[in-house]
Amino acid sequence: MKRNRILISLLSIVVCTTIILISCSKSNNNSSTPPPAGNSDPVLTNLGANIIVPAYQQFATDATNLNNAATAFVNAPTANSLSDLRNAFKVAYKSWAAVSEFEFGPAADLFMTTHFTNAFPTDTVTINNNINGASYAIDGLGNYAAQGFPALDFMLFAYGDDASLARFTTNANSNGAKQYLTALTGSLKDKSGKVSSAWTSGQNYLDKFEKATGVNAGSSLSLLVNAFVLDFDVNLQNYKIGIPIGIYGPSTLPKSPAKVEGYYSGTSSELLIAQVQALQHLYTSGAPNALADKVAATNAQKNGGSLNDAIKSQWATLVSKMQALPESLSTGITMDDPTITDAFTEVRKMTVLLKVDMSSALGIKISFQDDDGD
Amino acid sequence: MMGTNFLTRYRHIAPLAVFRIAFGAVLFYSTVRFIAKGWVYDFYIKPKFHFPFFGFEWLHPLESGYMYALYVMMAIAALFICLGLFYRLATPVFFLCFCYAELLDKTYYLNHYYLVTIISFLLIFVPANRYFSIDLLREPSLEITQVPAWTIWIFKLQLCIIYFFAGLSKLTSDWLLHAMPLKIWLLAKANVPLIGPLLAQSWTAYFFSWAGALFDLSIPFLLLNKSTRTIGYLLVLIFHSLTAVLFQIGMFPYLMISATLIFFSENFHVLLINKIRSLFNASHESSSRIIFLPVHPNRQKLILGLLTVYFFIQLLMPARFLLYPGKLLWTEEGYRFSWRVMLMEKSGAAFFYIKDPASGRKFEVNTANFLTAYQERMMETQPDMMLQYAHILQREYQKQGIQNPEVTVQSYVSLNGSGSMLYIDSTVNLANEKESWFGHKSWILPFTDKRKLR
Repeated sequence: MKRNRILISLLSIVVCTTIILISCSKSNNNSSTPPPAGNSDPVLTNLGANIIVPAYQQFATDATNLNNAATAFVNAPTANSLSDLRNAFKVAYKSWAAVSEFEFGPAADLFMTTHFTNAFPTDTVTINNNINGASYAIDGLGNYAAQGFPALDFMLFAYGDDASLARFTTNANSNGAKQYLTALTGSLKDKSGKVSSAWTSGQNYLDKFEKATGVNAGSSLSLLVNAFVLDFDVNLQNYKIGIPIGIYGPSTLPKSPAKVEGYYSGTSSELLIAQVQALQHLYTSGAPNALADKVAATNAQKNGGSLNDAIKSQWATLVSKMQALPESLSTGITMDDPTITDAFTEVRKMTVLLKVDMSSALGIKISFQDDDGD
Repeated sequence: MMGTNFLTRYRHIAPLAVFRIAFGAVLFYSTVRFIAKGWVYDFYIKPKFHFPFFGFEWLHPLESGYMYALYVMMAIAALFICLGLFYRLATPVFFLCFCYAELLDKTYYLNHYYLVTIISFLLIFVPANRYFSIDLLREPSLEITQVPAWTIWIFKLQLCIIYFFAGLSKLTSDWLLHAMPLKIWLLAKANVPLIGPLLAQSWTAYFFSWAGALFDLSIPFLLLNKSTRTIGYLLVLIFHSLTAVLFQIGMFPYLMISATLIFFSENFHVLLINKIRSLFNASHESSSRIIFLPVHPNRQKLILGLLTVYFFIQLLMPARFLLYPGKLLWTEEGYRFSWRVMLMEKSGAAFFYIKDPASGRKFEVNTANFLTAYQERMMETQPDMMLQYAHILQREYQKQGIQNPEVTVQSYVSLNGSGSMLYIDSTVNLANEKESWFGHKSWILPFTDKRKLR
C-alpha cells in the first residue's frame, strides 16, 4: 500500500517534469516552407517558373548592376557616374516592385522583405550617424529603417545634383558615405542573388512550391495569395497612398506628402505603376494556367458577371489610374490633386475584390495564422 | 426500484474507462500541440485586445509566464484524466482552465473546443477513474466494476445531440441545392493525387453534401442500434478520416473517433481492457469480481436533476437562432454552440472610421495597430465582434482626447460564393450600440442572394 503510494507520487512527478520539459524545449517552427505534397498543380508551375523565378532573376540582375554602378561611382565620383548610379537605382527599385509581393519562402527566410528592403520614410538620422562613423550592421534588426531602397533614395537624391555629389567627394565624411552606399547596394545584391538561387538551385524551392497544392495554411497558393494581398492591402493601399494622403490622421493637418515611397527621387508614381503592372501580370499571365484561370474555374460571380472579369477589368482600371497620377506624387498630395484620391478609391475596390471575393472563391483564408477550423 | 430504472440500473464501468483513456489521450495530445504550435503566445500574449464572450468581459488573460503555466497545467490534467490519476482533481482543473481560456476571446471559438468544454464538464460527474486506472494502484479500495447506466448514457446522448443538430443545420439551400461551401473547398483539392480530378467535379460536391447531411442525421441511430453499430462506427471512421485529410480542421476528427467508441457494448470494452492488460502482463484479477458503486439516492437524484436541466439547455441552444430575423449564417446570431460545422466559406473586409464630432474630422482606423491578423479576419465576418471592436476603438480614442468618438464601419462580406456585399449599415454609430442577450442587431444589412442555381 504505502509503497504503491510512493510509487504513484514519484510517477506523477516524473510525468510532470517530462511535460514541462517537452513544452519548454519546443522550438517555434512557424516555417514558411510548404509541406511536400503529391501531384503538382499547373497553375503553381506557371506562377513559379514563368512569373516568380524570372522576376527574382531580373531583380538579382538589376541589383548587381546597381552595385556595380555604386562601385564605379565610389571609385570615380563624377556627375556622370552619379547619373548612371541614379538610373541603375530606379531600374532596380522598379524591379523590386515586381517581387515585393512574394514575401514567403526564401524571401522571408533570407529577410528580403519589405520591412528590410523598403521601409519608408527612411531613418535619415541613423543613416547620417552611420555615415559619420557610428558602428552598424547593415542588415541588422535595428538598422531596418536605414537600409534598402529608401536609404539609397535619400543618399542619392536628397540634396540635389551638386550637393549630393559633394557628399561623396568634398564633404568631411565622404569616405563614410561611400562605404555606407556600397554596403547598401552590396546587401541588396547579396540578398537578391541568394533568394533567386534558393528558388532554382540549392534548396530548389520551386520544386516544393509546385508540389504544395491545395489551399490549407502552408500550401503555395495560400502563401502566395496571402503575401500578395498583404502587399496590395498594406504596402500599396496604406503605406504608398493612404498614409501620405492622410486617411489615418486624427489631427487637423493629416497629410504627410513626405511619407510617399521614393520621396527624394520623385519616383513614387512610377513605382506604383510598376507594382500594379506586376500584380496584374501575376494575376493574368500564363493562360490557360494563370491565376485568373483558377478564379474563372470557380464560376464565382460578381454583380451578375464573372468575378474573374471583374478583377481583370479592375487591374486595367488601376493601371490607368496610376498612369494618370501626377509625376510628383508628394507635390500632388500637397496640391490636393483629385487623381490621387480617385486612384485610392479604385485601389480600395480592388482590396475588397481580392480580400473578400477572390479569397472566398478560392477558399483561401487571408490571415497569417496557422490555425484549426471546423 | 432505483436499480431497475433505465438510468440508474447498474452497468459495467468498462465503456467509461475506455472513454476516459481515449478522450483524455486526445485532449493531452491536442493541448501539447497547442503549446508546441506557439498558439499560447499567438492567441493570448501577443494580442493587445481581446474579444471576451458576452457576460465575461471581466476575464483577462494572465501574464505570459502564467498563461504558459496554465496550458502546461491543462496538459498535465489531460494526461491525468487519461491515466486515471488524481482524477477527481484533474477533471475540474482541466475543465476550469480550458473554459477560462475559451471565454477570453471568441476569435478562437471552434465547435470542437466547445465539445471539449462540455465533455470535460460531464467527466467531472462520473467515476471514470475507478476501473483500470492508476488511482487504483494508489487506492485499491476505489475499484468498482458496476456504475449506474446514466454515467455512460450522458456521453452517448451528448454525442447524438451533436451529430443530429449538425445534420439538421445542413438542411439548407446553400448546402443541399448549391453544394456550398463544399464546392469551393473540394475544387481547391483538384490536385490531390488519384481522387483530385474527381473532387473537382460539381456532382462530387453535391454527393458529399448530401452524404454528409445523411451521415450526421443517421449516425446516432446506427450507433445506438446493436445490429448496425459496427457499420456505424466504420462510417464514423471513414467520414472523419476523410474530413481530416481534406480539410484543415485540427483535432475534431480524432475527438469524435475516440469519443464514439463509447457506443460499443460493455463486453467489447471489457475485452479491450483485458487485451491492454495482457500487453502489460498485468493480471485479470478484477475481471471476475463484481463491485457496485455505492450510490446515495438523494445525491444521485440531484445530479440527475441537474443533468436534465443541462440537456434541456443543450436542446434549446441550437434552436435559439429562431429568435432572430434574417439568414443565420449571414448574421451569425445564434450561430455558436449549435454544432454548425463547416457550413461557411465566409470572408470580409472592414474599414472602420472615427469621427470627432467636436472638430468634424473623420479618419480611417488602421486595424493592424489594434488587432492581430487572425483577430481581424474573424472580426470582419462576425457582427458581435465588430461591435466589440467599435467599443475598443471608442475607449482608445477617448484616451487620445476625442471625447465622443463616432465609430462607423464600411464592411463587405462574401458568404458561400455570394460575392462581396455590404454587410453593416455604414451610417450607424456603433459606439452607441449595445450588446444584448437575444436582441437582433438591426444594423446588420439583410442578405440578398443574387446567385443563380448552377
